Amino acid sequence: MNDSRRKIMKEAVCLLVSEAGFSTATEESLETLTEMLIGLTCEIANQTRNYAELAGRTQSVVGDVLMALINMGIGFKDLDKYALRENRPMARNMNPNQAQKPLQILQAGTKPSNPVHIPSYLPPLPDPHAYVRTATYKQPETEYESIREKSANQKRDIEKALTKFLAKTCAETHNLFDNEEVQMFPLIASKPTTVPAYLSALNPLDQIFDFEELEYYYQVANRKPDNDEVESEGEEKRENENEEREAVSPPKKRKNKKSDQKKDSDTAIMRPPSPPVDQKPQPLPQEEEKIIDNPFLKLKKTTITS
Amino acid sequence: MDNNSEQKPSNFGIHRPKENPNKGGSLSEFLPQLENYSPTIPDAVTCYYMNSSGLNCADPRIVRLISIAAQKFISDVANDALQHCKTKSSANPNVNKNQKDKDGKNPKDKKFTLTVDDLAPALNENYGIKTTQMKYLT
Repeated sequence: MNDSRRKIMKEAVCLLVSEAGFSTATEESLETLTEMLIGLTCEIANQTRNYAELAGRTQSVVGDVLMALINMGIGFKDLDKYALRENRPMARNMNPNQAQKPLQILQAGTKPSNPVHIPSYLPPLPDPHAYVRTATYKQPETEYESIREKSANQKRDIEKALTKFLAKTCAETHNLFDNEEVQMFPLIASKPTTVPAYLSALNPLDQIFDFEELEYYYQVANRKPDNDEVESEGEEKRENENEEREAVSPPKKRKNKKSDQKKDSDTAIMRPPSPPVDQKPQPLPQEEEKIIDNPFLKLKKTTITS
Repeated sequence: MDNNSEQKPSNFGIHRPKENPNKGGSLSEFLPQLENYSPTIPDAVTCYYMNSSGLNCADPRIVRLISIAAQKFISDVANDALQHCKTKSSANPNVNKNQKDKDGKNPKDKKFTLTVDDLAPALNENYGIKTTQMKYLT
């Protein structure tokens, strides 16, 4: 029994029966009366409609209701007296509790009425400020000029920051001023290589397909203990970033020649992939005078920062 | 058929005793009072049953009129049942077992229970509605 309307009808029957004077009633009798009430309502409504349609109307009038009652034999003369009798029981409030309206103080703007397809008993739509869209990001720049400018600025900033970092932490530095004590503008010392810089551009390069294979090949190539082939090594395989490594490796090998060869050569072989910056200060100062002929590349003696 | 003049509506020559003019009028006076009326049966429920019969409930007064008519019917039935109940209880004189302890059951204090035994004869005699009561279910 989930018919809510039937329950309400039964409730009305109970009210009427109790008003008549009964204090209790059996379930059966109440059900009977409920059934009668529902049936009577439907029948009056049906006959009212029929009389209205008989008169050529679609909307029913009081006269239709009266005709229906007369037709059914129900008297209506005392209907008004009955309706306005005292102490009549009232039906319960059918409207559910109105939901607490949120504070209207913070209402921004006037709320437009609901669209037609939305029934009125649904909760209201939010205030119009909920529909306002505010972009949280700026429109990205698409102008070529500004982008170029930005990228140039970024590049310069990166270079500046990096050189500063390197100069202050690990690399050898030249000082801008003659005064050795003041290290305001440190510059990273340039390490001249054994081979000229333009050689890498002149030598033909194989296309690199597999970097790991390249690494292996490099190790294989470096495994030769002979130092005579330093230059041939440099000619065989040349990459831009390996220039410095090659500069490191021959002096290392010369150094290692003095000590035990195989062990250190192995370790020397393993070292090239790691950044060679750390090892540079040790071998280079000894060999510098031997390698460099160019007067422009002669270094001034500075404090070596590790 | 003898038509009267066009000035007043004609009776087609049939003369009837003047009936109580207030008969229909009282109801039409009652109609404005219905606008603020709250019947025992809620409007929504009556509206639902009217819709199921094909009657639109645009005018709330019609709705209330129908609900009042149905209510009155049930009230009349209940009153008739009460009469039956009272006659039955008065027909059997209640023997007071102990007059000191309890008072005699006066009609005023007596509590009535609506049963089918009272309802069935009330319906049957006054309205011609026959109810069958199932004693037990097989």
